[in-house]
Amino acid sequence: MPFKRYVEIGRVAQINYGKEYGRLVVIVDVIDQNRALVDAPDMVRSQVNFKRLSLTDIKIDIKRVPKKKDLIQAMDAADVKNRWEKSSWGRKLIVQKRRASLNDFDRFKIMLAKIKRADVVRQELAKLKKSAS
Amino acid sequence: MKTILSSETMNIPDGVSIKVHAKVIEVEGPRGKLVRDFKHLNLDFQLITDENGKRKLKIDAWFGSRKTSAAIRTALSHVENLITGVTKGYRYKMRFVYAHFPINASITNNNRSIEIRNFLGEKKVRKVDMLNGVSVVRSDKVKDELVLDGNDIELVSRSCALINQKCHVKNKDIRKFLDGIYVSEKGTMLEE
Repeated sequence: MPFKRYVEIGRVAQINYGKEYGRLVVIVDVIDQNRALVDAPDMVRSQVNFKRLSLTDIKIDIKRVPKKKDLIQAMDAADVKNRWEKSSWGRKLIVQKRRASLNDFDRFKIMLAKIKRADVVRQELAKLKKSAS
Repeated sequence: MKTILSSETMNIPDGVSIKVHAKVIEVEGPRGKLVRDFKHLNLDFQLITDENGKRKLKIDAWFGSRKTSAAIRTALSHVENLITGVTKGYRYKMRFVYAHFPINASITNNNRSIEIRNFLGEKKVRKVDMLNGVSVVRSDKVKDELVLDGNDIELVSRSCALINQKCHVKNKDIRKFLDGIYVSEKGTMLEE
């Protein structure tokens, strides 16, 4: 029940509102009660409101406001990209992106695959029901 | 001004088992079980064990105003009262005070209610039912004394208040007519 993900220097967060929606950033400093200074390897260091951030489990080891070079080094050392893509949150995002980028033919193929899978499941269920009764 | 985090901890003695779930605290000990609901407070309750292996109750207030930070310590005091209620119990003693008309009290309903007659010579009979889990007994060794026992301090002290308030003097100078039943001692059942 207590909080496990804290706002701290080095906490990796995802922006969940605004122009930078979906981007992974690192909190490099806390400005005041409501705002943080965030940085990412491919963006200019900027301020963001805490309400626009969703904290992740990942934390990297940096000093307050590191240089871009040191930030990239620390992110590689903690292997943020791979940990993110392997985490269940990251995997769900990848699936969502794939689903959003489907064309009609892909959706048709998925429909057929779902029907086939449901078929197999129903046959197994019928077998189990028969053996149970 | 909002304080980012204010927290306090308290030790839990051995012999009591505490369960904390969704701001409802359940304390169980040798004298029974007490439950208290803190859902009206905006605090985080958690049970932790510190380095020495002792169990503690920790209360956090995140971004609290002055009032919510103050509520931390009162919640701890309430839990402390639950713990002593469940280990030692509460014993409140009340004395009859009268100038001329002796207060006649009889305990009915197997120690659960009290009838008061002849208060200030009045014909009216005052009946007070004790709250849940509180028992009242006329002290045998001391003259004109009532002893109220119970586990929950809120219920015991409220029963005392009910008895006290039933015996208020009306339409008279209360500086002169000092009759009544007053709480004389607040203590626990286990005397050390």
